[in-house]
Amino acid sequence: MSRVLDVQSVDSGYGDVQVLDDLSLHLDEGEIACLVGPNGAGKSTVLKTVFGMLEPWTGSVMLGGRNIGGMAPEEIVRIGVGYVPQTENVFGSLTIDENLRMGGVARGDDLDPVIEELYDRFPILTEKKKAKARTLSGGQRQVLAFARALVMEPDVLLIDEPSAGLAPNTAAEVFEDVQTVNELGTSILMVEQNAREGLGISDRGYVLDQGTVEFEGDADSLLDDPEVSELYLGGGTRH
Amino acid sequence: MASILQFIANGLVFSSIIVLGSIGLSLVYSIADFANFAHGDTMTIGAYGALVTFGLVGGVGGTFLGLPLGFYIALVVGMGLAAVVAVITHVFVYRPLSTTSIGLLITSIGVAFVYRAGLQAIFGTDFRNYDVPRSGPLPFIQDSLGIAVTARGLAIVVLAAILVAGTHALLQYTTLGRKMRAMADNPDLARVSGIRTKRVILATWVIGSALAAAGGVFLGLFSQIDPRIGFDLLLIIFAAVILGGIGSVYGAMLGGFLIGMIHELTPLLKDVGIPIGIQYAPAVAFVIMVVVLLARPRGIAGELT
Ligand SMILES: Nc1ncnc2c1ncn2[C@@H]1O[C@H](COP(=O)(O)OP(=O)(O)O)[C@@H](O)[C@H]1O
Ligand SMILES: [Mg+2]
Repeated sequence: MSRVLDVQSVDSGYGDVQVLDDLSLHLDEGEIACLVGPNGAGKSTVLKTVFGMLEPWTGSVMLGGRNIGGMAPEEIVRIGVGYVPQTENVFGSLTIDENLRMGGVARGDDLDPVIEELYDRFPILTEKKKAKARTLSGGQRQVLAFARALVMEPDVLLIDEPSAGLAPNTAAEVFEDVQTVNELGTSILMVEQNAREGLGISDRGYVLDQGTVEFEGDADSLLDDPEVSELYLGGGTRH
Repeated sequence: MASILQFIANGLVFSSIIVLGSIGLSLVYSIADFANFAHGDTMTIGAYGALVTFGLVGGVGGTFLGLPLGFYIALVVGMGLAAVVAVITHVFVYRPLSTTSIGLLITSIGVAFVYRAGLQAIFGTDFRNYDVPRSGPLPFIQDSLGIAVTARGLAIVVLAAILVAGTHALLQYTTLGRKMRAMADNPDLARVSGIRTKRVILATWVIGSALAAAGGVFLGLFSQIDPRIGFDLLLIIFAAVILGGIGSVYGAMLGGFLIGMIHELTPLLKDVGIPIGIQYAPAVAFVIMVVVLLARPRGIAGELT
């Protein structure tokens, strides 16, 4: 299986403050990989470093055969990578329709067909086309943020905590959307605070702590690992 | 009554000029993230650009809204010149500077001095006028409303309204306008979405400076031109932008309108027993701005964008 994304020995952080320490992880074509770990472990920092919001201090971020470490986000979008940030991931003062159009500014072709398709897939957005995004509920916002990134039809999608702040049933719907997009051919690197649920829909997983990968492997084996379970999944085993 | 109407009519002309200045200041603040103290002098550059151009093409025949067609050519050239100067300044001065926002602000004060010194070196400090024939009050307004409005006053209001409507259409209905609003809303998400923000910032400088220049040209037409005209309005324009809600273009339009009106209506205060003349108008405008901010800290339009 080929690696679409390969993060090799990356150090990164904010200003002088180092967060990621010799971090390596990868994403195989067609899979969902889930990044879990405690608050402040550096999960969001990984995605920001991959997506050019932060420049890696050392190491490389390989996309296909190309090192995209330090490339600007607006250029990374153009080579098939999408990113849904954890917070402030919609333009609140723009309408739903305008948010989706912003998601497609880097497409050279007509946006209408792809946006229509997204409206079909996410009917909740259709109903609110002309409403400002700030009027949406938490779950609706998450759907919009996700749909905005999908306008580019990315090969690789980075999603930061899609279920954060959502009621369980809404979170389940968002996870279903993530799986659907994956089944349509997008490889997904997802960060989830809700580790059991996140690993539950993933092929592989990484447990991050203090900027380093502590455990990695098949999602199932991580869920079954007593040590991982004890330290990072709040104890107990899966039913 | 007629006298109040007369003050309102004068206020409309002055407001038109302030609104044109306010839009650019607000756009550059919200999108390029920068309080530009050279904005007033950008207005002045527009006024002089038009002055020189009108000297060359003033004879072009025909009139529109009571102004010679050559004046419109001069207006467009003045707007274009100000845009070019602003873009050059952005690319060669502001953009390479990696400093704090206060550092940029102080830099722009320096840029303002340089603009003004340049104009003064070329044109001197004398008052100048567009060689547009002065005409008396428009008879149809005089007869119907009993107030004196000149053709140039009416033309300024109409042209400013057209420019404001054009700005609105650009912001709401074009891809560039949507990108500008997206950047003002959330610059990080704008880049994540694929917006090439450098280009949008350049476009913002072009639009904001061109509108400011139009305001400068109208100011010269309304009164006279000298190297300080724009700078003298800068603080009033800041007051307008802050009153409206800094960062909100529509707030800036509203704030510009209100501050312009308040400024020109100040002499009416003597009718209610407060005898202060037009020379105190800026102070009155600022007092009202502060009072509004006490009630609404984010300005009238606040976060409404
Ligand atoms: N913008 C920032 N500036 C400085 N430090 C930050 C910033 N964002 C996050 N951090 C710090 O980096 C560390 C990792 O944060 P983050 O990657 O957001 O963690 P996680 O997503 O795993 O909860 C934390 O200690 C956090 O305080
Ligand atoms: Mg996070």
